Amino acid sequence: MDREDLITSNPLRVLGLDNKAEEGRQSLGLVMARAGLGKTAILVQIALDSMLRGNRVLHVSIGESIEKTRDRYDEILSLMVERLSDEARTEVARRRMIMTFKENVFSRPMLEERLKDLIQQEIFQPDCLIIDGYDFDGNGRQAMEDLKVLMADLGIAVIWFSAVCHREDERVSADGVPAPCHAIDDLFEVVLVIKPHGDHIHLDILKCAYCQVEPGTTLTLDPSTMLIKKA
Amino acid sequence: MARDLSKVRNIGISAHIDSGKTTLTERILFYTNRIHAIHEVRGKDGVGAKMDSMELEKERGITIQSAATYASWKDIDINIIDTPGHVDFTIEVERALRVLDGAILVLCSVGGVQSQSITVNRQMSRYRVPRIAFVNKCDRTGANPERVAGQLRDKLDLNARLMQLPIGLEADFSGIVDLITMKALYFEGKSGEQIREAEIPAEMQAEAQERHQELLEELSMYSEELMEALLEGGEVDTQLVYDAVRKGTLSLEFTPVFIGSAYKNKGIQPLLDAVAAYLPCPTDVQNFALDLRNNEQEFTVTNSPDDPLIMLAFKLEDGRYGQLTYVRTYQGNLNKGDTVYNSRTGKKVKIGRLVRMHADEMEEIDGCGPGDIVALFGVDCASGDTFTVEGIEASMSSMHIPEPVISLAIIPVDNKAQTNMSKALNRFTKEDPTFRTFVDHETGETIISGMGELHLDVYIERMKREYKAEVTAGAPQVAYRETITARADFDYTHKKQTGGSGQYGRVAGYLEPLEEGDYEFVDSIVGGTIPREYIPSCDKGFQKSMEKGILCGAAITGVRAVINDGASHSVDSSDVAFQLAAIGAFKDAYRKAQPVIMEPIMKVAVEGPTEFQGAVMGSLNQRRGMIIGTVEEGNYTVVEAEVPLSEMFGYSTVLRSLTQGKAEFTMEFATFKQVPKSVGEELIKKYEQEKKNN
Repeated sequence: MDREDLITSNPLRVLGLDNKAEEGRQSLGLVMARAGLGKTAILVQIALDSMLRGNRVLHVSIGESIEKTRDRYDEILSLMVERLSDEARTEVARRRMIMTFKENVFSRPMLEERLKDLIQQEIFQPDCLIIDGYDFDGNGRQAMEDLKVLMADLGIAVIWFSAVCHREDERVSADGVPAPCHAIDDLFEVVLVIKPHGDHIHLDILKCAYCQVEPGTTLTLDPSTMLIKKA
Repeated sequence: MARDLSKVRNIGISAHIDSGKTTLTERILFYTNRIHAIHEVRGKDGVGAKMDSMELEKERGITIQSAATYASWKDIDINIIDTPGHVDFTIEVERALRVLDGAILVLCSVGGVQSQSITVNRQMSRYRVPRIAFVNKCDRTGANPERVAGQLRDKLDLNARLMQLPIGLEADFSGIVDLITMKALYFEGKSGEQIREAEIPAEMQAEAQERHQELLEELSMYSEELMEALLEGGEVDTQLVYDAVRKGTLSLEFTPVFIGSAYKNKGIQPLLDAVAAYLPCPTDVQNFALDLRNNEQEFTVTNSPDDPLIMLAFKLEDGRYGQLTYVRTYQGNLNKGDTVYNSRTGKKVKIGRLVRMHADEMEEIDGCGPGDIVALFGVDCASGDTFTVEGIEASMSSMHIPEPVISLAIIPVDNKAQTNMSKALNRFTKEDPTFRTFVDHETGETIISGMGELHLDVYIERMKREYKAEVTAGAPQVAYRETITARADFDYTHKKQTGGSGQYGRVAGYLEPLEEGDYEFVDSIVGGTIPREYIPSCDKGFQKSMEKGILCGAAITGVRAVINDGASHSVDSSDVAFQLAAIGAFKDAYRKAQPVIMEPIMKVAVEGPTEFQGAVMGSLNQRRGMIIGTVEEGNYTVVEAEVPLSEMFGYSTVLRSLTQGKAEFTMEFATFKQVPKSVGEELIKKYEQEKKNN
């Protein structure tokens, strides 16, 4: 499978978020799951899809090392596409930058400062931001709204977040978005939730403003690779 | 009487440059009564620290070559390998780790976990070496052992816990609190040799108690007995705690962190106690050898003195006592006068003298057993060779040896220097597998190659000092490679009939890219179109062709040469004729096989205050670097990037001026990658120009 095939056949395409971004609309996406269910794997697939389409992605990893994050990309890219020349691989990798923070060091103002540094000094202008490990328990609506403003200021089209939900916390929004994001779900255009389902893992599309599929649709993940299986 | 291996420790001391590990080793030797006075690394007394036995090391204040030494602490025999801190010498670190059972990771309490500590830690993980950490320089301004322990957890992913608390810090650093015995220790006397045990200072009582409890709870994960004792409440037997630390350390799940100041003679004796208590003895770790009679099947060495000898030569030194070979024995005994076999060469070697080294002094010994690290005299071998006795054909598993990435031409100034240079190069290449040398047949120059500028610098210096070989060195060159990217057929006839006996050979087949390895020769000849005796000639011809590519004159790698047809002549065919036919065939096919130039790419980590992050990234981008990412640490940032080596010459000066000297960088070889088209064209042009000029 070559790069073009991959782009057109990627099941993530049904989410349509990038298409909207290309039209100039700014969007927020969210992947939720209990700890250890593969949120990062989904975010990396989303990021790679965006990179393969020519976008630049800044992957902000909170609590994970550069090496591990990079390995995730390499691993998932190899799974997604069997044969990719070294040149193409390097070209794809050039569209990505990883920024890691320790949990205790990360703060939204610090992220803002680093992002501005990167963009204003013309080091890296991301089209898509992945924020993996953001603390939704400790940061409320205002923080998210501030991030949206920052997005507009810095010309970032898409931000994808991951959020951990807890089995014991049963609060949900009207759209079924679980805590801790239930009270701010209106800020997100797309919300995906990973749920174990017997031997399978499901990816429930809870909210999807631009999807080609109806909210409530479920995609199936291959539990060994965490890649989305085609319907 | 059999030696009690539980009382042997083979340890390494590894760290970032300038963390004070040579000073630490010096203090260890002092407290174990191996030396009777302390000399500083860059001390005014001009003696220099004991471990830096090479003159050059004394001058530069860095440890270049690891020296093996022996010390005895209480009833434990400790063999110590002092390892270099600079990344250019990591083969030394890797070799040391290969033969050691445990290590002390030395960190500076101000600098903390720096990039080189990350490299060293990765190497230790590769060889599964259990380690304890020592946070040195607690007397320095800005000392913060707590932060360093945190970095060990965060940056190195080690489950590191402080085993001690400092009593005062920086200039007020006066002693330590042992969190297991809950006693304060003060180091008194002229050189801290008298330890005074006292109650914990009142103002530290509460914190120490809390830390003690936390530590025990953490350690209970490694010992059910300790967990039970904690659940029952009341006093916990300290032996249970020691056992739990040992268990956690040996399984690499726990890293105990000790603190002190080697320079101020504080905290060394408790560290030695920890080496004895927590680091493994030879029987605690599994070492593997390869059975050469059984398809290199891995088997575990026994550590038994009664089994046949297996011994690894891990280091060679040519010093004032002649050639010394450092060996580690894995099983069996070795006695003076024994005859052993070098399993690589199959040669018999008689062991004349056996010594135990103490930096540059030595003790004669009559024999050694499993787990020992000793040195042999007058044994001709290469580093990495395995010695065994008759009846066993084994080799210790091969070491990971990186490819050299940089080379330069050296020219001896006169005939005497020429002879001495050959001797020196012969020695160095045996000592250090990452240091290579060859003669460029076209220019007649001797080329040396290695892992970095400093690496080659040191060898040039050593040639001058130790061998009186004065040489002039050219500018460092990147060790480019050439390779092919497509399959190409060949059908070439070498025919020469100009008087005398003629030459005739025809070879046909194809070249194709080889995924792994440098070169492979495949003989697919059927029906004897090329007589059997000339098949090796074809192989030889191809190998000769691989020495120099046509694009930029670099060595060719990654080629599979397949021959499937050919022709010979009953009179005119010869070894030379088929070699020349293969050379001609290779030349033809190589052009068609879409050759490309590959360059070494280095993994570069630049660490410095956050305010310079933009400038650092900009400088890496300018150098064709690919920024992989950043690690945000609060006030400082580590930028990781992959940069072509050719762009990194002089980077330290650039970085210094960009960051007011506040940032530092390390680099290590990552991979070879194809050069961009424009760079490739430039290299081809340059090579063609050079050929014209010659």
